[in-house]
Amino acid sequence: MDALGITLQQLLTQLVSFLILFFALYKLAYGPIMGMLDSRAEKIKASLEAAETASLEAASSAEKVEAEIASARIEGQKVIAEARDAAARLREQEQGRAREEVETMLERARTEIGREKDAAVEEVRKEFAGLAIAAAEKIVEGSLDAKSHSSLIDKVLEEGLSERKN
Amino acid sequence: MGKLLSNPKLLVIAIAAVAVLLVSVAGGALGASFGLGFLGGPIPFISVPAEQVASIGGYPLLNSTIMFWVGGLALLFVAWRAGRKPKDVPSGWQNLMEMIYEFFSNTVDGVAGGTPKAGRRFLLLITTIFLVVMIINWVGILPGVGSIGKIESIEQWVQHHAESIEEEVHADHPDYSDEQVEALALVHLLEEHGTEPFVAFDGAIVPLGRGEQARVPLNKIISFISDDLHHIEEAVEHGDDLSHLEALENIHQDIEAGVVKSSFIYNEGESNAKTYDFTGQTAGLLIPYLRGASTDINTTLAIALVAMVTVQLWGFKALGFKGYSGKFLVNPITKGPIATFIGLLEGFGEITRTISFAFRLFGNMFAGEILLIAMAFLLPLIGIIPFMGLELFVGVIQAYIFAMLTLVFGVMAVASHGDHDSHAEDH
Repeated sequence: MDALGITLQQLLTQLVSFLILFFALYKLAYGPIMGMLDSRAEKIKASLEAAETASLEAASSAEKVEAEIASARIEGQKVIAEARDAAARLREQEQGRAREEVETMLERARTEIGREKDAAVEEVRKEFAGLAIAAAEKIVEGSLDAKSHSSLIDKVLEEGLSERKN
Repeated sequence: MGKLLSNPKLLVIAIAAVAVLLVSVAGGALGASFGLGFLGGPIPFISVPAEQVASIGGYPLLNSTIMFWVGGLALLFVAWRAGRKPKDVPSGWQNLMEMIYEFFSNTVDGVAGGTPKAGRRFLLLITTIFLVVMIINWVGILPGVGSIGKIESIEQWVQHHAESIEEEVHADHPDYSDEQVEALALVHLLEEHGTEPFVAFDGAIVPLGRGEQARVPLNKIISFISDDLHHIEEAVEHGDDLSHLEALENIHQDIEAGVVKSSFIYNEGESNAKTYDFTGQTAGLLIPYLRGASTDINTTLAIALVAMVTVQLWGFKALGFKGYSGKFLVNPITKGPIATFIGLLEGFGEITRTISFAFRLFGNMFAGEILLIAMAFLLPLIGIIPFMGLELFVGVIQAYIFAMLTLVFGVMAVASHGDHDSHAEDH
């Protein structure tokens, strides 16, 4: 013991020194660092959790957006189809109405034409009757003269024509 | 090579290096045999016990305690800087401390079972042991530690050493008077340490360039012959009056003077024997003011005690009083005498572990200190450089070994016997 220099006094001194150092280190470094590390770990954990929930939220919202887009597409297609239908219907209606109108116009034109024709025929008949009568009168007047026969007809016709001209 | 030498800068450096090496070799122990040795100092007196440098109110302050607190305060400074304002994003000292802390946190958890926080109870002591042992190892090899000190005169040395011998003599012959005891102790001291070398020096500083020859044996400082000692011994035995004994008086005078009395022959009887004459110069021993705390067995023993006592506490806490003491005290009737014997051996092992802890660290660091001294003696100036690096490395390794062994013993202590049994069944 003596040769090695082990003395109770020095042993206790070093023992107490070590313990003092231990507690001082605990107060100065371990305590704050442990607190720091724990709080940091908690912070990291919390932020990781937040990130996870955020990513989940993002995923769900993306799904939602997709679904919305899909539904919007369907709706849009429906709207387009409806519009096309309406347009087709409208066209058909318009076409029908136009056809009807045309037909009525044609009808009206036809009846007008008919009436005109009838009136014209009537007038022609009247004229021809008059002409015939006039011609007959002339024939009867000129029956004495064969020569003048033909000249008479010509005269009537001429008169008739000029009368028609007027 | 030619290219290397053609570069003037490199050439100068190379020449300087060779010159330093030559000067170092010539100035060291090797050169001393050829009459050079101008850089050599005497090999310091290597004392295993730590030396006392001061006395504070009767309390002896040892040089190793000073170095313990030099290292301790350095460590506390780092700890204070690290833990002052801990930030989420660490930097500087905080980063360093956190790194060490996390390293040990992971190691401890890994050794203690692999789950997070499995080794939390070991962590603080393990980290502290590592940090403290490392820092005291490191500050212990700083230049100046062990080489700057005061001179203990012959008178102080005799007083210092006679004390324990006086106690022994007093125990052997309780009927002797104080005077008789003192005289007999002095005789024993001179018989025992008659050739012990002291350093002859001029003033406060031991000058360079004298090599080992500056070491003067004690019998050239205190001149006595064995007849004188016998004479005194006889006088003491016969109970003669000692106050007028000429031989004793001469010895006392020489001790008080503490100077070299006569020339002496170094390496007497060998081919390189040489006569040195330092007559009239003061003789003494160097007592370093500072000494690495880990080169004092008290320090290493104290840390070992803390470690092993804490290991026992961990054991008791984990297994309960009955469970843990059951490891060492096994019932010979129920478990058989062999188990009892093994249990007792294990208990004895706890004590030997403490001692091996203390001596492993002390031995390594003390040997390192001596290695540095020897290198400074053999190759002054440069010899110490690579070994300084080596000692820094050894300092960390020893601190790590100390901490890890404490951890392993702690883990073994908290493991219950059931674990062992199940392991045995597994195999």
